[in-house]
Amino acid sequence: MIQTILDALSYGGLYGLAALGIGLVFGVMRLVNFAHGELIAIGAYLFIVTIDLGLPLSILIAVTGTAILALLMEFSVFKRLRLAGPAVLLIASFGVSVFLQRFYEIIFGALPLSGQIAPWMTGVIEFGDTTITRGSIVTIVLALILLGGMWFFIEKTTLGLQIRAASSDFQTARLLGVRSNRVIGAAFVFSGVLAAAVAFVLVTQRGSVDPLFGVNITILALVGTVIGGLGSLQGAALGGFAVGATISLLNSFLGNYRVYTYTWLFILVIIVLLVRPGGLISNKAVKERV
Amino acid sequence: MTLLTVRDLQSGYGKVQVLYNGHIDVEPGELVGIVGPNGAGKSTFLGTLAGSVRASSGSIDFDGASIKGKNPEDIVRLGLAMVPEGRAIFTDLTVNENLRLGLTGRREKSGAQQAVDEVMDLFPVLTTHKNHQAGLLSGGQQQQLAIARALVSEPKLLLLDEPSLGLSPTVIQDVFGVLARIQERGTAIIVVEQRAHLVMSIAVRTLVMREGHIRATLSQSDAQDEAKLAAAYFGTGEDRE
Repeated sequence: MIQTILDALSYGGLYGLAALGIGLVFGVMRLVNFAHGELIAIGAYLFIVTIDLGLPLSILIAVTGTAILALLMEFSVFKRLRLAGPAVLLIASFGVSVFLQRFYEIIFGALPLSGQIAPWMTGVIEFGDTTITRGSIVTIVLALILLGGMWFFIEKTTLGLQIRAASSDFQTARLLGVRSNRVIGAAFVFSGVLAAAVAFVLVTQRGSVDPLFGVNITILALVGTVIGGLGSLQGAALGGFAVGATISLLNSFLGNYRVYTYTWLFILVIIVLLVRPGGLISNKAVKERV
Repeated sequence: MTLLTVRDLQSGYGKVQVLYNGHIDVEPGELVGIVGPNGAGKSTFLGTLAGSVRASSGSIDFDGASIKGKNPEDIVRLGLAMVPEGRAIFTDLTVNENLRLGLTGRREKSGAQQAVDEVMDLFPVLTTHKNHQAGLLSGGQQQQLAIARALVSEPKLLLLDEPSLGLSPTVIQDVFGVLARIQERGTAIIVVEQRAHLVMSIAVRTLVMREGHIRATLSQSDAQDEAKLAAAYFGTGEDRE
């Protein structure tokens, strides 16, 4: 039972990080960035190809490399589409996603690339009759640190305040002097950092990476940002957490019927959206007053 | 020196042109009104001055330099701040956080606290609610916050788009009563309003817009002349400038 709860918390934290990364960019650009999955993939590739240099250096390279790729996406594609509508941005992000998948295939090959990133994470810890996996503990701690750090950055710093304002009303934020390129660039960088963190946990669990490595979690994290309330950063993290925790709990409770996990997940998603179409945390919760 | 000089300004959204011949002169410390019916192009005119709507032709000279084509975030740093229609405050942020965002547009970072203290003095109700969520303020208080947020950047020119929108008559009087005090600080103001009498009673002159054109410029004394105002506003009789 304890392991089930810890698994739900660790999955929830992992999906919360992925959803927050997507939510940050959506907030300031109204861009549903499908290429976030390829940021997670490059993070995983960088971990595997640099792990021989030692974990600290590997983390530094993976995080920096992923953040740089996120910025490159912004400068080379999305910055040129500032005046485009959400549909154009969405298709552009599909394009970036497919391009990067083929690019990874050329560079790293189509077959999975294997490697052991943090073997100490794969063991179990025993408490009397109860055994819990180290991986879930590390994931929970990592998610708490990063979500806490992101909370501090978003709630307590001037740049975080500007990102919140730009997420709520970009035009008004610009009228007040908020520099649009700086805020969008920061959102992409932090999105990249969060993608690298997700990559670390996933590649440690799976032990290999392929060009489609980040696609599945990205789609589910997108579902999380919608459930949480598009445009709300807290909502994105909460929605992502809810999706991850639900997947983990369904996997556990369905047992031999776990093939139906995603069926039940999306039934629950539809119910949540029917009850709260604006998501769990809606920016329109505060009514206009006269 | 004239603070703002606009000539033959044209702008719109995509291929739809909304503003055809925007022109205006504003001296330092002046209050100038712009009135007109719905869809006259008033908000587009203000938005073009503030940089949120792209000008297709014409000139905008502010404080001795052209600002045409500049980004909104650069224009506010030059001293031209705008309060958009519908207040546009950040309802999920606190009053204090809204004011902190207003400080982003300051030319000089020093003196920020003094600027906040001054607007708190101008709008004492904001002091009481400084840690409250802005969305919980009344409509009038939100309008005061929107003006205060623009003022902390210490603009030379303040653009107000429909400040009376959605407010009760008593609250409107309170909001307009503060404009004179803002002028006393040396800040020029352009007020866009549908309530023509309201703005004409305090503006040194008022431009009347219709269908994207400035159809007339009326003096303060014209506010009493219903026939003249109606002719300019609704297009009956000859347009005059």
